[in-house]
Amino acid sequence: MAKLIAIVEDDPDQRANYRDAITSKGYEVAAYASRSEALDGFDARMPDLAVLDIILGEEVDAGFELCRDLLARNPNLPVIFLTERVKEVDKISGLRLGAWDYQSKPITLDYLAERISSLLRINEVRASVDSRTTTAKHIGDLTLDQDALLVSWRAERIDLSATEFRMLAKLVRAPGHAVSYQTLMNVTMQSLVTNNTINTHMRNIRKKFEKVDPRFACIKSEYGFGYRWSS
Amino acid sequence: MIKLPWLRLGTGARRVQFRDRSRIRDRAHGLRLGTKLMLLVLTLTLVLVPWLSFLALDEVGRALAQMQSHYQRLTAKNIATVFNGREDLFADLPVDSSEYETLFAEPIQGPVRLDGNAADWGEPLRKRDFGIAGDDGSFTLSLGNRGALLYLYVEVVDNSRIYRDPEYLRLDNADQLRLSFVRSDGEDGRIAVTLSEAGATTAYRMDADWSFAEAGPPETRVQGFVRETDTGYALELRLPFDILGTSVGGPSGRVRVFGVAFVDVDDPETRAVRAVTHTLPISDEMENFGLVTLRSPETLKILEGLAYADLHIRVIDTLRRIRAETGGYRTTAGPVERSWEARTLGWLSAVRGALTDVAGLILSEPPHPVADTSESQLMDVMDSALAGEPIALRRRAGDVETIIAGHPIISGGEVIGLIEVEQNIDDILFFQRGSIEKITFVAVSSFLVVLLCLIVFAGRLTWRIRSLRRETTAAIDDFGRLRANAVASGMTSADEIGDLARSVSNMLNRLAQHNAFLQRMPRTLRHEINNPLNTLNTSLEHLAQESAAVRDSKYLDSAKRGVMRIGAIVENLADAANLEDSLAAEDRELVDVQQIVESYVGNYSATHREYQLLYRGHRGPGYARIADYRIEQILDKLIDNAADFHRANSPVTVQFDVHRGSLRIAVANRGPMLAPDIAASLFESMVSRRGAENKLHFGLGLYVVRVIAEQHGGSVRAMNLVDGSGVVVTVRLPLAVASSEPVATSDSIAVAS
Repeated sequence: MAKLIAIVEDDPDQRANYRDAITSKGYEVAAYASRSEALDGFDARMPDLAVLDIILGEEVDAGFELCRDLLARNPNLPVIFLTERVKEVDKISGLRLGAWDYQSKPITLDYLAERISSLLRINEVRASVDSRTTTAKHIGDLTLDQDALLVSWRAERIDLSATEFRMLAKLVRAPGHAVSYQTLMNVTMQSLVTNNTINTHMRNIRKKFEKVDPRFACIKSEYGFGYRWSS
Repeated sequence: MIKLPWLRLGTGARRVQFRDRSRIRDRAHGLRLGTKLMLLVLTLTLVLVPWLSFLALDEVGRALAQMQSHYQRLTAKNIATVFNGREDLFADLPVDSSEYETLFAEPIQGPVRLDGNAADWGEPLRKRDFGIAGDDGSFTLSLGNRGALLYLYVEVVDNSRIYRDPEYLRLDNADQLRLSFVRSDGEDGRIAVTLSEAGATTAYRMDADWSFAEAGPPETRVQGFVRETDTGYALELRLPFDILGTSVGGPSGRVRVFGVAFVDVDDPETRAVRAVTHTLPISDEMENFGLVTLRSPETLKILEGLAYADLHIRVIDTLRRIRAETGGYRTTAGPVERSWEARTLGWLSAVRGALTDVAGLILSEPPHPVADTSESQLMDVMDSALAGEPIALRRRAGDVETIIAGHPIISGGEVIGLIEVEQNIDDILFFQRGSIEKITFVAVSSFLVVLLCLIVFAGRLTWRIRSLRRETTAAIDDFGRLRANAVASGMTSADEIGDLARSVSNMLNRLAQHNAFLQRMPRTLRHEINNPLNTLNTSLEHLAQESAAVRDSKYLDSAKRGVMRIGAIVENLADAANLEDSLAAEDRELVDVQQIVESYVGNYSATHREYQLLYRGHRGPGYARIADYRIEQILDKLIDNAADFHRANSPVTVQFDVHRGSLRIAVANRGPMLAPDIAASLFESMVSRRGAENKLHFGLGLYVVRVIAEQHGGSVRAMNLVDGSGVVVTVRLPLAVASSEPVATSDSIAVAS
């Protein structure tokens, strides 16, 4: 049975475009225009993944609230937010632990599809974590499970978004070597990225590590170039 | 020559604003002076109050004087009424007294001591000269009358004083005074007053040729005292009227006739009579008699009944002889009782002195000059009254100003005399002076109070307006950004300034709302634009999937680029709009800016081989409290900007200095200079000096730099290089003192938790 992807987007054209794109990838799609409509739909059938626009009509934070409702029903539900600015990622990351990502508008449908499949796969990997042999990579105190999108620092779990995970993974691929802004931008799989976006992400990643370990200082700035992981 | 344009252009931004402001201030200045002048003029009009008061007082004074004149005329008339028809009172003197030398006996008020000195007689003596004044043997005679006694005061000029020698029986061989008169029995009476060195005189009734005394005791009723003076003798005598007998004609029979003669003996050896000086005239019949008349006592009695203080009344007959007089006007100004206001001014003695001077100046110059010819005015009064016309005149005698009124006394249709009433009007003048002092005091005090109030009021007004202006000016900064959406001063006051403050606040508030709307606009726009853009983008992708022709079309790529471009624009705008908010929310760390700059330049040079980027200046640490990537952002923008304008193959230099509490990052490039008009607005949002051909630039780069610098308490300015070869943009940030806090550097990044 095909996975059910729920799309909540108030703009009919975009909604149709998403539905077409995702359907063409072989998923079943349930598209909703508003929060109440979506909630009714969820009552009927819980989706396997939700793509949420944050602003729905007059409701500025409708996407977040929907997410909260969904996670109450299924804490492991993967969610992709359609947001306009990186800054809102802060709001999202404060909202949940779990598999989630975001895509900034204007989005690229290919990226969106890739994200959907990636998050679904991660969810499956996580579900079967006990039965599989871990592919986790160890770089000093850092443990990185590429498949399950799981990061630990000194055995403590750190919750990163998919984008942040990919950036970190890029950074630790060659520890000690600087990674340029351009490389990091490509990794985000977003359409519009600036240095500033990368800086914001890096700051968020640092903060998450510092929450676990206040002395964390492995992510270094290479001013005018990019970032570097140094153990 | 080279420096001039740099100076002008380099500081253009600030200078333009400064010039604008000073121009506005200049314009305002004239206005302010006008207000001050007006205030001054308004205040000075208060000076009119005492002046008008003075004029009014002058009028009052004149009116009072007029009333006084009128009243005195009435008094004179009333007194005259008493004497009307009383011819008898005037008849005790022969109407024609030409054959007599009339000697008036002035009434003496107080007791008299016989000491050869007439100072105790009171009124200034009326002296009459006999003989040739100043010659040997001449004398002056004054007569006084007190009760039934006649007083004589004689001053004799005598070169050689010869007193009576008691050895001689004869009396006519020494200086002596002879009194001749008609006794009550009609016979001639002769009395010689002999002088002695001791002072006391002795009087003898004499025989017919004045040689020997009559038998019997000396005439003790005639007493006297002689005093030696520089020029001769001063004799004071007293005798009862009874001695003189009573009458020679006249209806009432009260006319007394007597004569005085001084017998001068100069040679002590021969003791011959050198000369005899008589009272004049000497008629055959009357021998050398003068006529002694008293001020008519009955008239005096009547007058005394009418007299009261400060009123001087005289009864004068047609021959202008004073027949009676009573009272006297005050001749001195007397102690002026100062008003309390004037006394209160004592503490301001200088002011008071000036006031008194002013008042004195005003008052010492009488508005109606009175000639100081008291006698002539007295004559005028007499003339007029004797002609039957009542009159009143103002008269100034010495320091005293009086009003003198005259009224004729009528009997049987004939003028038989006149009443003259004189009163001091200094009271009026004192009243005037006192009032002027009071008014001046009140005026000056109110003037000062009003002035003070005005100054306080104006000062407060100025202060309030100034603080309002200050606040209003501060509400919008040099770049036109709103700093406050209301003013605090004057908001609660009910007056016009309060209204102004409220409307300014209102205005600022509306401006703030509009500003907020403008600031929200990019975010709203992003939301509104991104959605259709997203539709466009995803639709393009679908199109490309559906048709291979579309997928391969070059138009698909250009359409996608267009979408990205719009997305980037909106993103940049929104970022810039959000910048201040996100800066305010940011954690600031103590970072070594020098290290960041230097490593940035190193990294940039390594990745951008096409540009030559040089680091210059300071090598030691320079700390600032700022997020490190903001420094990076500043450098991104500045170097991006410099790279865009640099001349090919010329280096872009990044200079870092620590200087007097601030650190400075200066990015300079060779290339076109800044136009002065753009220098001011270079750091504004959406202002770019790039041409229209440019790529993804919206004039936000330098704006972002400025906002970051200012949010961290720094500044940014662009100026042309001194040699005119290019442009340097300088960012200043306040230097932070490195403490024991962990320091973020590129090698050890730590965040102050």
